[in-house]
Amino acid sequence: MSSRSTTLSTGSGVTASVRRAGTKVLHVLLLPSLLIGLYAYSSANSDSYYTPTPDLIAAAFAELWFSERFFVDVLPSLARLATGFTISAVLGVGLGVLLGLSTRVRALFEPVLEFLRAIPPPVLVPLMILLAGIDDSMKVLVIVSGCVWPILLNTVEGVRAVDPVLADTARCYGITGTARLRVLVLRSASPQIMAGLRLALALAIILMVISEMFASSSGLGFAIVQFQRTFAIPEMWAGMVLLGLVGFALSALFEFAEGRVLGWYRGLRAANRGE
Amino acid sequence: MTIETGGGGATTVPRIVSGELDFAFGNVVSLMVAREQGLPLTVVANGMTTTGDAETDYSALVVPEGSDITAPAQLQDATVAIDNLRNIGDTSVRNSVRLDGGDADHVDFVELAFPDMVGAMDNGQIDAAWVVEPFLTIALEQGATPIAANFVELDPELSIATYFTGDELIASDPDTVDAFTEAMNASLVYAEEHPDETSQILTTFTEIDPELIDQLRWPRFETEIDRGALETVADLMVTDGLIDSAPDLDTFIR
Repeated sequence: MSSRSTTLSTGSGVTASVRRAGTKVLHVLLLPSLLIGLYAYSSANSDSYYTPTPDLIAAAFAELWFSERFFVDVLPSLARLATGFTISAVLGVGLGVLLGLSTRVRALFEPVLEFLRAIPPPVLVPLMILLAGIDDSMKVLVIVSGCVWPILLNTVEGVRAVDPVLADTARCYGITGTARLRVLVLRSASPQIMAGLRLALALAIILMVISEMFASSSGLGFAIVQFQRTFAIPEMWAGMVLLGLVGFALSALFEFAEGRVLGWYRGLRAANRGE
Repeated sequence: MTIETGGGGATTVPRIVSGELDFAFGNVVSLMVAREQGLPLTVVANGMTTTGDAETDYSALVVPEGSDITAPAQLQDATVAIDNLRNIGDTSVRNSVRLDGGDADHVDFVELAFPDMVGAMDNGQIDAAWVVEPFLTIALEQGATPIAANFVELDPELSIATYFTGDELIASDPDTVDAFTEAMNASLVYAEEHPDETSQILTTFTEIDPELIDQLRWPRFETEIDRGALETVADLMVTDGLIDSAPDLDTFIR
């Protein structure tokens, strides 16, 4: 009550921004609550064993993930996800810049890269077990083998599309080497690199789950499959809900980072449109 | 009648419960877990039984060539591959470790598909593997050594897998269920009495090397389901925490 009166007294600008934030939260929550409501209604009217009511799923969720399982299953999964994503980003951007800058290197590598890109990572798992073993490195490798492609290809395209006028200008000013790479190449390719990273993030979550379905004894993906096989259906749903929330959180985090990195680009576009 | 091959219990059980399938084949551990979760399933015929003889059984715990491990008790802190965790593989392997005087709580199980196990053993990624045919013969050909016949040690009369149906079908159409049981039992007797024909049938729906087929070890196709053995399994499952209490076998088997 007191906080509310403070808000009101500090002026209409704050009230408007609070209202805007409120509307935004409402927008975010509206569809999910509608869907949950719909699911609650249909599951309450169904005696199917496989569609437990939301309260059962919520109870399983609380019991499962607010316990040590969070440290045993969720944190290792997220660590593998982060490692795989980071390696993909470094590899993809590094190799992408190299390929984007040199037509000759690109011509040399492109057929092989297109071939490798078309292989679905899950198919490679038995091979990766032979190459990398059955520990975390195999799982990280599965994530990298799928995630690297959107980053790589977007980086190549981004680097190729550097504005020639800007490139000439940079040359006139004698900007070469790492400085050229930093202020010209990476900067102008960054909108596309970020688009690649965003695609890769979504893939990374899927591949994290898939990698844990093989040669595993812990992890979020493993836990979900395990629940499914032992007919612990509310727990299985609770695992999927957590997976969805992880995806949502990572995407929000990414959006925040993207806003930071591409602030200049958005500003530039807005200015060009005369906003 | 149509025969469908469909994954493991995780995919066949829902289809039985929904009435999409009438009968399915599944291992007894999965079924007991499903029953405890309240799924209305009942066993209607035996599927296969261990031979009861360590030398000829179709399942074994094996270690790679040159391994220092010679007995299950030495598997403490070792990595053992099984196809599915919290199922008949780890339950029976833990039992073998305990029988040998080892600490079953400190065996590290890891899930691997049977075809990947031999390679993982050769690479030293796992210390031992539980394999069933045809992968047992393949593993032995590649130099692996069996250190325990986990099913035989659990119980020489153990039914590993059975045919089951949903309780709804039993209530609505008991005649069909009776007919299925009768037909299944007749086919089990026939399979047991004609091992050559049984092994040749493999060539019709698998790609197993014909030379390998002659060497494969077979389970017993027994019509009786030994209750004592199932009680032992259930007790082990309670010990390992797979289920809270042993099922009532009178309602478990029709």
